Amino acid sequence: MAANTPAGIDKEQAFGMAETEMEYRVELFNRLAQTCFNKCVDKRYKESELNMGENSCIDRCVSKYWQVNGMIGQMLSAGGRPPM
Amino acid sequence: MDKNMLAGLEGLPEEDKIRMSAMIDHLQFRDSLRMYNSLVERCFNDCVDNFTRKTLQKQEETCVMRCAEKFLKHSMRVGLRFAELNSQAATQD
Repeated sequence: MAANTPAGIDKEQAFGMAETEMEYRVELFNRLAQTCFNKCVDKRYKESELNMGENSCIDRCVSKYWQVNGMIGQMLSAGGRPPM
Repeated sequence: MDKNMLAGLEGLPEEDKIRMSAMIDHLQFRDSLRMYNSLVERCFNDCVDNFTRKTLQKQEETCVMRCAEKFLKHSMRVGLRFAELNSQAATQD
């Protein structure tokens, strides 16, 4: 996204959009990490390592979360705006 | 996560690169503080339920250490997968 600014948008706006986009990514990552930890990790903390089951669960959880993220993104960009 | 962001900066003029780098540094710093807070809250909630004493008991301490280590390891793993998915998405565009 960095090198090409869309026509009609000045540099300040481009920086603003870049910053917003980065904040969104950070937020996405944090929510993803929290959610998958809650879903996959045993809260009894019997040890400090992640076991094999937890590792697989985490990988799959991240993958599915990502898919949901994509689906919602598509839905919002397709039908999100109210018709004029 | 941060390396992927930096890779996109290649084509930019120097002053823009500096500004973007500063932005990334700022975001990372803010994010680490948030992670600190949320980790403390999480491990406290999961490990501490007993208020008969004002100092942590041995098992509470152990629990907190494990909780923190586990979450950090988990976070690293998620970071790897996230980066993989991000780079897949980038090549598809």
